[in-house]
Amino acid sequence: MTIDLKGRIDSNNAAQIEKDILAQLQGCASDSVILDAANLQYISSAGLRLILRLKKTNPELRIINVSSEVYEILDMTGFTEMMPVEKAYRVVSVEGCEVIGEGANGKVYRIDQDNVVKVYKNADALSDIQHEREVARLALILGVPTAISYDVVRIGDSYGSVFELLNARSFAKILAEEPERMGWCVKEYIKLLKKVHSITVPEGKLPSIKAEALAGIRRMKDSLPEGYGEKLARMAEEIPESSHMIHGDYHTKNIVLAGEEVLLIDMDTLSVGDPIFELSQMYNSYVGFSEYNPDIVLEFQGYGASIAREFWKRSLREYLGTEDDHRVTEVEEKIRCLSYADLIDWRQRHGVHNAEDQATLALWTNRLIELLDRVDSLSFDPGETDQTVEDELDIEAVTENLPRVMEFVDSKLETIDCPAKAQMQIDVAVEEIFVNIANYAYRPDKGNATVRVEVSGAPVCVTITFLDHGVPYDPLAKDDPDVTLSAEEREIGGLGIFMTKQIMDDVTYEYKNGQNILTLKKNL
Amino acid sequence: MEITKNVQDNTATLFLAGRLDTMTAPELERELQDILPNAKDLVLDFEQLEYISSAGLRVLLSAQKIMSKQGRMRITHVNETIMEIFEVTGFVDILTIE
Repeated sequence: MTIDLKGRIDSNNAAQIEKDILAQLQGCASDSVILDAANLQYISSAGLRLILRLKKTNPELRIINVSSEVYEILDMTGFTEMMPVEKAYRVVSVEGCEVIGEGANGKVYRIDQDNVVKVYKNADALSDIQHEREVARLALILGVPTAISYDVVRIGDSYGSVFELLNARSFAKILAEEPERMGWCVKEYIKLLKKVHSITVPEGKLPSIKAEALAGIRRMKDSLPEGYGEKLARMAEEIPESSHMIHGDYHTKNIVLAGEEVLLIDMDTLSVGDPIFELSQMYNSYVGFSEYNPDIVLEFQGYGASIAREFWKRSLREYLGTEDDHRVTEVEEKIRCLSYADLIDWRQRHGVHNAEDQATLALWTNRLIELLDRVDSLSFDPGETDQTVEDELDIEAVTENLPRVMEFVDSKLETIDCPAKAQMQIDVAVEEIFVNIANYAYRPDKGNATVRVEVSGAPVCVTITFLDHGVPYDPLAKDDPDVTLSAEEREIGGLGIFMTKQIMDDVTYEYKNGQNILTLKKNL
Repeated sequence: MEITKNVQDNTATLFLAGRLDTMTAPELERELQDILPNAKDLVLDFEQLEYISSAGLRVLLSAQKIMSKQGRMRITHVNETIMEIFEVTGFVDILTIE
């Protein structure tokens, strides 16, 4: 039964209100009591004691429609932990709003320029919302760029969570409207995916995706011919457990460009596991699901099957860091084994209703059987997830070669997406040191210099080493120029090394084995 | 680097685009040698300038020394990364940056 609480409850009226409530409860058979606080403005400790006594005789007591002022009191006094307390939700309409994303559990609408709302399909979604908020917070702390909802609202009979996403546009929309930006999309999409996959999640925080995949395989394996189901189950079982993060629904509707930032949304499927599970779901989003009927992908992503296939093909190559067809196909076949297993299980769980369902299921089953004839393991090496670059250039130390040195260094920095500002600072330092060697090391003769670039670690550190066999000379030994002097007093020159010291994080010199060795370090 | 110039009487504006480094600083130096003798008001527009190294700074300093005596020199539209170079070298205090 529901009891309305009104106005203010304090020591003046608490006793009377308690009497009234007990009278209402008298002879009421229902054991679940709900206190509706929609019209409650204030509650003092006398009122709180009243609720405590009610809770003793009615252990299932709940409070609903609590205003944020009253919620604050209940939260501060620990009541929100003792009993279910539901806030009063703001009511929002999504009628006529643009759909910007869609995930397994709901649709995302833009409600105004800066805000989007995710409307959950499940009518009783409060626990889902709570879960998504917790995993999104965990992901954010672990370094995934994502948005965390700041409010829960009601949309008709459903719940929604509100996010601030400035000018957000999903990658699905970008690909549909500007397919020429596919190259950029692939690069950003995989960069973010690699970031997610490189994160180690503390034990017990997220479920294992492998357990879920194995459950699916157990359900569908008997529909395969003798021996095939067992082989699939065994290979899946042999995929190592991993504590690395998996998004679990990584397709272009869940990646958004908000301003300049690429963000991952729809975090409720976050889990841990081997990347092959994620890749197998990705294959289904772009290819597997629409393999029989190509219109499906258009309906879901908003772009056609040929774009979807191309996007998948380029994404896998980018992920593996290779253009080697043989290697890509080898990994893709492993991925597809899990993809088809997932699709077959999905179709069987949802029922085969018509000829198209039948034909689709047959196609997936045949493809899987073909693959199982030649795939013997589902393990693959995803390539280096830590960015390590090491390369060197040996070149005649003359100023005419400066452009070639810069090009060499910049090409290395580009592979790690070095921020423009840091790149310019590194360029300035490299120019300084190389020109110094060119001008002084071998004068009046000529000789070579070696430029070595190493990138390592997280956070990323760029180390550039210059080696030459010229006369021993420590450029760092010189006094720093006085940078406080006026233009008239300043000497022309002497600034280069000083600047290098200022803009690099570490500059060292040593003379060893007949070589000048100058090392620059810059933390990104 | 590309240099576009606009000279009227003793007022000159040079628009620099690209990189002002060891390889290109001599070009700017030559341009300035032509302009400086008659200049009273010199503007260097850095809007399209992406990069500057100490070779570029040396040219700016020599020009500043001359212009301080005969008029004024201003640098406009300096981007953030170049500004930082000016800051660490103390050039913010000796140049007029607008």
